[in-house]
Amino acid sequence: MKRKVYGVLTLLLLFVHFTYAQQKTITGSITGPDGLPLPGTTIMVKGSKAGTSSDFDGKYSISASSGETITFSFVGYKSQEKTVGTSTTINITLEEDASALDEIVLMGYTKTSRTELTGSTVQLESAAFEQVPVSTIDQVLQGKVAGLTFNVDSGTPGSTSDVRIRGRSSLTAGNEPLYVIDGVPVSSAAANSTTSGSSFSPLASINSNNVESITVLKDASATAAYGARGANGVIVITTKSGKSGKTQFNFNSSYGFSNDAVDGPQVLTGAEREMLYYESVYNTYGADYGFDLDGAQAFSEDNNLDGGVYATWNAAGRPEGNWGDVITNKDAPLMEYNLSASGGDETYSFFTSVGYYDQEATVIGSDFQRFTGQVNLTKDFSDKITFSTRNSGSYSYQDGLLETSAYFSSPRAVKFFMPATDQPYDDEGNINLETSLPNPLLIAQEDIDDSKFTRISSNNTLKWELPISNLTFNTTVAIDLQLYNYKRYRNRIDGDGASTNGYGWQANSTRTNYVFQNNLDYLLAINEDHSLNFKVLQEYQKNRYNYLEGEAENFADDGLTNLNSAGTPTSANSYFTDWAIASYTGLMHYSGYQGKYVFDATIRREGSSRFDADNRWGTFWSVGTAWNVHKEAFLADSSWLSTLKLRGSYGLTGNADISINQYQSLLGYDGDYNGTSAIYLDTFGADGLSWETSKAVDVGLDLGFFNNRFTTTLTYYNRRTEDMLLNVNLPFTSGFSSQIANVGEMENKGFEFEFNADIVRSENVFVSIGGNFATNKNEVLKMYEDNSGEETVISGTTQRVESGHAAYGWYMVSSAGVDTQTGEDLYYIDGKDGETTNIYTEANQSWQGGSALPTFTAGLNLNIEAYNFFLNVSSYYAGGHKVYEDWARYTNGTDLFTTLYYQGVDAILDRWQQPGDETRFGKMTYSTTPWQQNSKFLYDGDYFRIKDITFGYNLPDSVNSIVGLQSARIFVRATNPYTWVKSDYLKYDPEVNADGFTGLETPPTKSLIFGVNVNF
Amino acid sequence: MKNIKHIYRILVAATLVLTIGSCTTEDLDPSLEQNKSVEDGINSINNISGLMLGAYEYLTESGYYGRDYIINNEVRTDNCFSNGNSGRFTTQASFAYNSNTGYFYDEAYEAIAIANVIIAQDVTTLATDTSELEEGYHIQGEAYALRALVHFDLLKQYGQMNTGGTLGIPYVTEYKGEDLYPSRSTYSENVTAIMADLQTAFDMMSDDYYDTTKITMSKYTAKAIESRVAIYFEMWDDAIAASEAVINSGLYSMVSAENYVSSWSAGSQQNSIFELAYTSSDNLSSDSIGFIYRLGDSGSYGDVQVLDDVINIFEPNDVRADILGYEGTMLRNLYKYPDINGSDNIPVIRYEEIILNYAEALYESTGGGLSELNSLRTNRGLAGLTTITKDAILDERRKELMFEGFRFDDLMRTGQDIEKTSLQQNFTSTISYGDFRLAYPIPQNDIDTNSNLTQNDGY
Repeated sequence: MKRKVYGVLTLLLLFVHFTYAQQKTITGSITGPDGLPLPGTTIMVKGSKAGTSSDFDGKYSISASSGETITFSFVGYKSQEKTVGTSTTINITLEEDASALDEIVLMGYTKTSRTELTGSTVQLESAAFEQVPVSTIDQVLQGKVAGLTFNVDSGTPGSTSDVRIRGRSSLTAGNEPLYVIDGVPVSSAAANSTTSGSSFSPLASINSNNVESITVLKDASATAAYGARGANGVIVITTKSGKSGKTQFNFNSSYGFSNDAVDGPQVLTGAEREMLYYESVYNTYGADYGFDLDGAQAFSEDNNLDGGVYATWNAAGRPEGNWGDVITNKDAPLMEYNLSASGGDETYSFFTSVGYYDQEATVIGSDFQRFTGQVNLTKDFSDKITFSTRNSGSYSYQDGLLETSAYFSSPRAVKFFMPATDQPYDDEGNINLETSLPNPLLIAQEDIDDSKFTRISSNNTLKWELPISNLTFNTTVAIDLQLYNYKRYRNRIDGDGASTNGYGWQANSTRTNYVFQNNLDYLLAINEDHSLNFKVLQEYQKNRYNYLEGEAENFADDGLTNLNSAGTPTSANSYFTDWAIASYTGLMHYSGYQGKYVFDATIRREGSSRFDADNRWGTFWSVGTAWNVHKEAFLADSSWLSTLKLRGSYGLTGNADISINQYQSLLGYDGDYNGTSAIYLDTFGADGLSWETSKAVDVGLDLGFFNNRFTTTLTYYNRRTEDMLLNVNLPFTSGFSSQIANVGEMENKGFEFEFNADIVRSENVFVSIGGNFATNKNEVLKMYEDNSGEETVISGTTQRVESGHAAYGWYMVSSAGVDTQTGEDLYYIDGKDGETTNIYTEANQSWQGGSALPTFTAGLNLNIEAYNFFLNVSSYYAGGHKVYEDWARYTNGTDLFTTLYYQGVDAILDRWQQPGDETRFGKMTYSTTPWQQNSKFLYDGDYFRIKDITFGYNLPDSVNSIVGLQSARIFVRATNPYTWVKSDYLKYDPEVNADGFTGLETPPTKSLIFGVNVNF
Repeated sequence: MKNIKHIYRILVAATLVLTIGSCTTEDLDPSLEQNKSVEDGINSINNISGLMLGAYEYLTESGYYGRDYIINNEVRTDNCFSNGNSGRFTTQASFAYNSNTGYFYDEAYEAIAIANVIIAQDVTTLATDTSELEEGYHIQGEAYALRALVHFDLLKQYGQMNTGGTLGIPYVTEYKGEDLYPSRSTYSENVTAIMADLQTAFDMMSDDYYDTTKITMSKYTAKAIESRVAIYFEMWDDAIAASEAVINSGLYSMVSAENYVSSWSAGSQQNSIFELAYTSSDNLSSDSIGFIYRLGDSGSYGDVQVLDDVINIFEPNDVRADILGYEGTMLRNLYKYPDINGSDNIPVIRYEEIILNYAEALYESTGGGLSELNSLRTNRGLAGLTTITKDAILDERRKELMFEGFRFDDLMRTGQDIEKTSLQQNFTSTISYGDFRLAYPIPQNDIDTNSNLTQNDGY
């Protein structure tokens, strides 16, 4: 690859000879009234067809002869004209037009002005998140983008999250959007090498203070350029550029405290648990063995039914262990410090920063730290050649924990599984080791779950304005190196390592992502009324992943945690995988009559290593158009209507996010039998495997009134996924459980509505309200057929995939409550009414309505600036979905799981005791109930959350000048201060994983943060 | 004019950009460093030997002989129950399983798939000399024996022999064959197929490859399995012939009374005919059978406890009672599969079972078998019996093979109820012979994906 790149560079140098002696090159920079550069300004030589546009830093260069007139125009600004004289430098400051400044939207490969957008794209500027300390940058998106749902997988800082844009497009392939940083697609695959512990997102390496903007591309006209990875939407992150001029410094500092946003379910006290236990003995054996409730204790003790647990507890004086308190890290501190500098002169500009972030989790023994550095530099090598480089380095450290399931050594599981009859400390005040589950105090102290993540990325672009006017060549080489080290240690004393006298495991992985891009930009300005932008782009991306791990047991002594100190190595493993994507993309953008008519077209030819050679290449495309009706003559003079825009797009995108090498029929070698390597059948294979395709329609209406003081956007979208990549279940008799194939169809459609109203715009007071509302209807249209020609379903005990319903819609046995006479749980035999049964297995599963995915989401933001004070409130609503309480079998069981083996939640106190009782839970029994998933534990998932409230004060200039500052602000911020949940039964945090099950992970947090931000 | 020239140059430039390092389809070939394709990866006798080990590896898994298959057949009897310490096996012990409860069906057919790949190979092209050819045939014999054993295990769990039906299980003989959606044969057809595979196995295997470590199958393993199958289906003459073949091979003998307990941690003993290998670095640790049978010092799962009454069935001096012991007040299996992390080998078939099979077959066909039964009793420290009865044989089997997953099958093949004998048992009342729960439900995955399959009644 590289050698060929150099070859072409040499060839292209030949063009330097084509120059035009009679003309000279005019250069300069364009700034807005605020002094900031204005990229995208159109610069034309009047009366000719020569034209160009200013670059990202507002700089331009154009060939013109003396005496010619150059026009500078930009939508939203007043155009200016200058006559070329002797000087070759013309710097221009454009003044705002009556209409508001038109935002430049950065779309990764391209950028455009908001009025010339043909699709649905939302851009967040740094102001929206620069005072938000976050461990992963995607957290700032929640509630800000119509149609985007966001759920953290865990409140442990640094964890991955589930981002869904316009619903769920795939069943088996990934549903995460593609991330593009500074124009280059990156790998955002979770870095963690095990799922039995805290997850780790590569996005945790990004310091949000270094980010200029985040753009969310939702429709095909914007995402088709990303081909087979565009179907789930694209998130474009652009880091800050330097601004020429005197060096400016910015320092900000935040310090705060976090607690769980929602307290979660309360558990039984020891006394309650004992009471319920004896009740269960009485209910089960009382009648047959002739004793009453008071006789239950004697019967239990005589028959050794509880193994002496309660007698021991009573003998100890009935102490109450509060495990919820034990595992909580109350008022967990959070801090962030960041220092940046920006400056430069006419030929170069730079932005550089260093940052530190530290957040403790709200559970004991868990912490996250991050150190970041960024250097972005742009240098003009000559009038024609500009080099820019964006480099970041970061080191993150996550002291994680065992989570994601009911692991006995997980502190979050202990809260709900360790009985209150067990005590954290023994009589001497030492950590009690005689607990029924490993004591989390010891686990937090001794066990290790550390992730260390180093990420270095360098993105280098050479931009060359070719001698042909308006033709620019860019070549980019980007390298993203992700080094991950994981260390697990389980102590010798108690818990998961005790049976092997200690257990250690370490894993190292290196992910290298290379991107080579070459593109040509050409602006063809036919005349003042018509301009065409062309871009051709060639890109090659290669991702290599090296993995190495070792595992050992039998540690020499306590406190020695490296494999070096282990007596018995048990496993060594390494592997290498790679994938590659090659693509050729053409983009065209037409703007007619100063943006009155806009037309976009994109075509991308892409090849992916994930598919077999005959199906490796495919073509993706989109078209989009917009009509800015308000620019028509008949509306030009309207005093109240400032924007009326109709837009629409249609295109074909893809999704290839499946495991590598699935198309081949493979043997596996990573097993062994008695130390000799064994061979097994690894992959069934899939001839003709290719990506899934999405056909997406997007139509919208943008309105603005009174100089865009009030704006709204209404969009309808429909995305139809075809040839879905699906793990088609095979009968186990084949030797496999599934085979991947391109089958089935699914649809997502809905409306999105956004608005903003500047209610008060006065000299000293500014009040605005903004919001968004989005709906999503997901429906599986077609599944594959089984061997009898019938459409199949994918069925589990709580969810089902079947055409005509939302993917993974809730489908389970319907609870019919509790029999008031017998105290038994009742179930509807069919559907949600009619005949009931007290035998779970006689009841059939039925649709419960809805899935785990919200059908509507909303965000509401209030912004008040008054004199030097400001107040910002943002909130989020998600609804129409349902959430299942995953561990109800154990924590909500009216049986021995809650009263003898583990612990129960206090909700079960509402249980049946005697005929006539109307209760939520049935009678306590001396038994162990198998998994009997039913709708009793399926709750409405609707919730409303105030995401944050920021209140601050900007120091007046008079003060700033005295202390030598340019500006300064202090603020206090509350995140997640308030949560409302529709269902009374949903006690866990309502923000659960996208799969819809409550979990035993660290829940989302609420924080109170104090901050200072100064510029000098 | 100028524009046209430009456009020409622009097109040249655009073409160049698009052809820079233009990537071909081959450039996009992914590396395949950990796998080989099924078509190109099997080229030698050594390769099919590796595949055979892969098939054994499936048998070692936790869902199969590693734990669940054995435990399921103990907690559903008068031997053991689940105390729910980690929530495991309460469902099975309550006979409350459904078509989504843990099963070994998938591991079983995965092992069969590998066996079928081996059987389908043309060993004459893989072998480079006659000695390799003999080894190739031997490995194919192992594959036949394994295919028979695994189908038999499936048949015992899913067949309708004990619930009043006629159906058996799908008998799969091809990998990626014509019929990916097989239907269930009758159990009689299954038995015929199993016996045929065992005969082929015996014929193909060679004495030269007798494995003294017992961790792979040898020629007489096929006969030993045949003896077990024949007993289950009351084919007494076949059972006698197969048992005699094993006994007369002279390769195996009973383990002595003094070594009875220690033999469980030693491995590759004289009484072992075929066992599955586990090591200190290759074991199931928390998913192992040792981890579920006892709590240990460090706190393992320990769900599967022995019913309090069981200690009373052993006569004085019976060395086999020494396997049991107490953890606190809990009666436990302490010494079969003694390592808490499961590093002990798990016997699949051992010589004492063949003696018991032989005694029972002789008793059923001629009323004999007393001396064979007494040979085991005296070896275990007991006096010989003076008369032989079916109950005496079954009692002896219960004591000899306790905790090894035989009790449920013995109750079934002799048409007995699963009696509620203790409050500790997880099920609430006696399960009569013929009850639908005595056959497991076919996993829902296969019911959903294969319309040719019939679910067992009651599920």
